[in-house]
Amino acid sequence: MSGNMRQYAFFLGCIAPNRYPGCEAAAIKTSEKLGIELLPLKGASCCPAPGAFGAIDLKVWYALAARNLVLAEEMNMDITLICNGCYKSIWEVNHILKHNDELRDGVNEVLAEVDMEFKGSIDVWHLIELYYDEKICGVEKVRASVTRPLTGTKIAPHYGCHLLKPKKERHFGDTENPMWFEELIDALGAESVQYRNKMQCCGAGGGVRGFDLTHSLDITNEKLINVQEVGADAITEFCPFCQLQYDRGQVEIAEKFGQVYDLPVLHYNELLGLAQGMTPQELALDLHAVDCKTFLEKIL
Amino acid sequence: MARVKDYGNAELEEKLQDTSYYADDANPQFLEDVKKLSRTAANMCFQCGTCTGSCPSAPRSSYRIRLFMRRGVLGLEKEALNDPDLWLCTTCYSCTDRCPRDLAPTDVIMAMRNLAFKVDIVPRNFLKTVQLIYKTGHGVPNNDVNRAARVKLGLPADPPTTHSYPEFIPGIQKIMDFYKMKENADRILSEGEQ
Ligand code: SF4
Ligand code: SF4
Repeated sequence: MSGNMRQYAFFLGCIAPNRYPGCEAAAIKTSEKLGIELLPLKGASCCPAPGAFGAIDLKVWYALAARNLVLAEEMNMDITLICNGCYKSIWEVNHILKHNDELRDGVNEVLAEVDMEFKGSIDVWHLIELYYDEKICGVEKVRASVTRPLTGTKIAPHYGCHLLKPKKERHFGDTENPMWFEELIDALGAESVQYRNKMQCCGAGGGVRGFDLTHSLDITNEKLINVQEVGADAITEFCPFCQLQYDRGQVEIAEKFGQVYDLPVLHYNELLGLAQGMTPQELALDLHAVDCKTFLEKIL
Repeated sequence: MARVKDYGNAELEEKLQDTSYYADDANPQFLEDVKKLSRTAANMCFQCGTCTGSCPSAPRSSYRIRLFMRRGVLGLEKEALNDPDLWLCTTCYSCTDRCPRDLAPTDVIMAMRNLAFKVDIVPRNFLKTVQLIYKTGHGVPNNDVNRAARVKLGLPADPPTTHSYPEFIPGIQKIMDFYKMKENADRILSEGEQ
């Protein structure tokens, strides 16, 4: 590709490619318009899931995440990704192993069995932080790429947990009421809205969705109540697992609690895709459990 | 010169230095294991309750993160590991961001879960994820509906992960076997079925 494109190894994870492939397609196409080229990270696996997997044995979590990191080290390329859960595994293990010799030696002992070595030679970024970063892209460039502004829509931001928190180990600043995601939403011509307890978790993480679905959905339900209260037309996030929890979760909430919201849930890359003129078909929005029709009618 | 504070009583001094809790069911090593795995100074918790007050799981269950912190400090291993509430933490890190002692209660929970797995205490859904990753490389593998959708989008039916490059799967299995993870998962799951 052209010389002024920045290239990254695109770490896919599981839920984006295997449940919401529109997120993957959108990430590739929308980033291209912003000067970011995403290249396949061949042979990558699950990050592996920080809650369900790290909870059982942190050592295996370190080692399997390190294997994914080494694949990118071999390409000599930084990783970018579109999921908070993946960020927790891939970014955090990279960070820990770069700074903890004991853990790194342990990981390299097992990686040697598969002829690999963690060197700590690359960095890991969430695509959303690259978009926000003035040196890479920046809000103005995002705004300039919009051909179909999402005018007249109210959108509730969901930051999720594992990109920003724990804040002392991250670099995103305030986690009580951050506003940078709102800037990226407003850049698409939409109106971002504030709602009660914005920073609360979606309820899916830590293996809780699999362990106690009702408990997990009760947390989600509280967020949906708060989002609906301010009249949002859609929720947007940058984590396919949060997306699954809000999207499929609404069907489960209707069954279990009898509450119906019909609130479309869109990954920021899907939203950006729409704003850059992609069609709902090009984003596979029909795979969403909650029909996006009401939202699409406002913008198409 | 700094003044040394003491009671002039060697026996009392020694007792005051010893921070372990003595009871039949207390295991001081538990706190040490938790500290090592969590990489946080769990013994510094002063029980303010900010963590529980920040916790999305607390209002809808009997799960109290502060209680688990206390169990850690007191070495109440069995009480902590046998309580099913251990698995209700969503790992949202709200408690960690707000703890006035700068501790990471979330990582204490992760450490306790690791210790629980060592004594075969673990919910089945966690083990199923292990089996899926061992088999396919993915915790959430592809399926036919999704393959068809991918093709319509102009993407390959399977993503360029272990799904398209299964030759990487034996390496993943080797790593998991190194820690006997799959073996233990299979064993615990099959025992549960008896
Ligand atoms: S917030 Fe920190 S110091 Fe306070 S009870 Fe929780 S872990 Fe202990
Ligand atoms: S990380 Fe776990 S214990 Fe801490 S506030 Fe979140 S759910 Fe509660």
